[in-house]
Amino acid sequence: MTFGSTKVVRDLSFDVARGETFGFLGSNGSGKTTTIRALLGLYEPSGGVLLVNGAKFRPGQQGLGYLPEERGLYKKEQVLTTMVYFGQLKGMSAAAARAWSLDYLDRVGLADKQRVRLDKLSGGEQQKIQLGVTVMNDPELLILDEPTKGFDPVNRRLLMDIIEEQRRAGATVIMVTHQMDEVERLCDRVLLLKDGVARAYGSVPEVQAQFGAASIVVRFHGELPASDGYRIASVDNGRAELLLNPGTRPEDVLSYLAASGLSISEFTPRRRSMESIFVEVYGKEARL
Amino acid sequence: MSTQHNLGTVIRFEVTRALAKRSFWLATLAMPAFIALVMVLQIGSSSSISDQTQGQASAHINFAYVDDSGLVNPQIASAAGGTRIADQNVGVEQVRSGALDAFVHYPADPSSQPVQISGRDVGMFASGKYEAVAKSVLTASVSAKIGDPRLAAISSGQINSVTTTYKDGAVSGGLREALPALLFPVLFLLAIMLLGNQMLSATLEEKENRVTEMILTTIEPDRLIVGKIISLFIVGFVQFLVFSVPTVLGYIAFRDRMSLPNIDLSTLVFSPSRLIIGFLLLLGGFALVAGSLVALGAVMPTAKDAGPVFSAMILLVFMPLYASALIISDPSALIVRFFSIFPYSAPLTAMARNALGTLPVTTAIATIVWLFALAAVALVAAVRLFKYGSLSYGQRLSLRTLLPGGRERGGARG
Repeated sequence: MTFGSTKVVRDLSFDVARGETFGFLGSNGSGKTTTIRALLGLYEPSGGVLLVNGAKFRPGQQGLGYLPEERGLYKKEQVLTTMVYFGQLKGMSAAAARAWSLDYLDRVGLADKQRVRLDKLSGGEQQKIQLGVTVMNDPELLILDEPTKGFDPVNRRLLMDIIEEQRRAGATVIMVTHQMDEVERLCDRVLLLKDGVARAYGSVPEVQAQFGAASIVVRFHGELPASDGYRIASVDNGRAELLLNPGTRPEDVLSYLAASGLSISEFTPRRRSMESIFVEVYGKEARL
Repeated sequence: MSTQHNLGTVIRFEVTRALAKRSFWLATLAMPAFIALVMVLQIGSSSSISDQTQGQASAHINFAYVDDSGLVNPQIASAAGGTRIADQNVGVEQVRSGALDAFVHYPADPSSQPVQISGRDVGMFASGKYEAVAKSVLTASVSAKIGDPRLAAISSGQINSVTTTYKDGAVSGGLREALPALLFPVLFLLAIMLLGNQMLSATLEEKENRVTEMILTTIEPDRLIVGKIISLFIVGFVQFLVFSVPTVLGYIAFRDRMSLPNIDLSTLVFSPSRLIIGFLLLLGGFALVAGSLVALGAVMPTAKDAGPVFSAMILLVFMPLYASALIISDPSALIVRFFSIFPYSAPLTAMARNALGTLPVTTAIATIVWLFALAAVALVAAVRLFKYGSLSYGQRLSLRTLLPGGRERGGARG
């Protein structure tokens, strides 16, 4: 994918299986939104093929629910009118779209706002409407670009509930996000994109393993030696937590401690959090 | 999802919300309201001016006159309050002193020399009665001298005439044939005036509201744009009905009391070829302007930014009005030929020439094809610019977007 003379996305290849929740991760400017827009036909890639259900994406034909990074609705229109319009565009009858919208508005506490113009709603209320429009007609594929961006905690909770519901209903979910706690909690697989190139791709445990253990808990007798391979985070009554420096493997530490004559009764590597992996990959570039 | 379903949904949505806006009805009803106001004022003014003019001409004033022409009938002058005297200085002096309302000096040759009138000042408008009386006395005296009312009427230029012209061996309709087809340029200008802003904002709205991505992943852009343009046609038709019906009713009810030409509609000649050509030119011209303004809306980030280009485009559409005299009198003039070809001035020029019968059929067909081709190009450009350009929120789009590979340009943050 090229903008002018700048290659934004290079040699990127990945699959998302039906029914899974896929985390598409990367810092600002890494090419996530560009890839999604190319997938949805909003940009035309300079090379390669992007397919949804084996075919090039066509608007309104593949049961898509898309929450873009840049959000907005027809501000001068009434809430219900807007929701019914989008519902009809997504293939619902006017009556079904109206019934669905009223149920949704009731659920999110906006039943009394159905005749109100969107620009008269608060920011949080507008977010709820945007979410509703996104998940109307039970999409098979849900693409959420920075879903929690700008959401207050209440709406963030609502969003997560809705994602859970859609997952349970069998929807495929692609989340473009910076929120690593959400990734660990929700995503089956992830892809880390940096400067348009995939840096990691696989299930969350696979990616965590790929980036090595974050820390090791050691129970020992003797004098714990210092090393360039780790930092001693804490030592207390024969128990220590060692934070591994980049490039250091747990087995290297074990060999080193054994060679130092330390008597070891426990040696437990702990998985790295996705957040620490993110920080390692993007370093100072990451602008969370 | 059927194409028709989505197209119908877009049309319904766009038409309904346009008609639901208070500003739409205010703008639409403002025109007939303004015309009604003008009618009322004109009726009032016409009767007032007519009454006062007649009153002035038949006014009885105390005046003296000197007649060097020998044309003034003393009995007629006397009936109007005039007294013949020999010395004009005396007459002027009596007016100055207030003994007379006015003094009139008829020169030896009133056809080439001015009639001198002196009068007591009774206000700028009321003082006009002196001139009205002086002229009516002279006119009545001359008519009496001629003796024959017909000769008198003819000498005063009261001549009716009927002209019959022939084209290709048959009687041509002249103005009666031109009038029905002149409806098309009028409709075209009204449509542009009333709908120009809506055409522009058709795509600007999606851009300004950041709704482009949501909408473009839900419906094909060409369907959306076509739906918007069809809804503009429908809204324009509603607007036309709303202001034309009261206007026509007002004309029929009050035309006798207004200073308007009394046209016998039964004598109008409806030429099928002119009407068909006029309709197609109207359709092509409207589609061209609508497509261009929709494309402009997709390029510009806001309505404010689009303003100068929008004004220039509208100016080009209206430009032929400045050459209307030449379009009527000399359709082969260079500027008329230029206006007939230049995209945005072509519709109005061609419609006017078609109505006046100076647009050859071959030229008409070429112009119609030209307009529809340009409209198609504008429409394709509008769709492309909207699809790939409206994601450039807050930025003016480069026209390179229209070029191959240009659609990759734009940029995203994530």
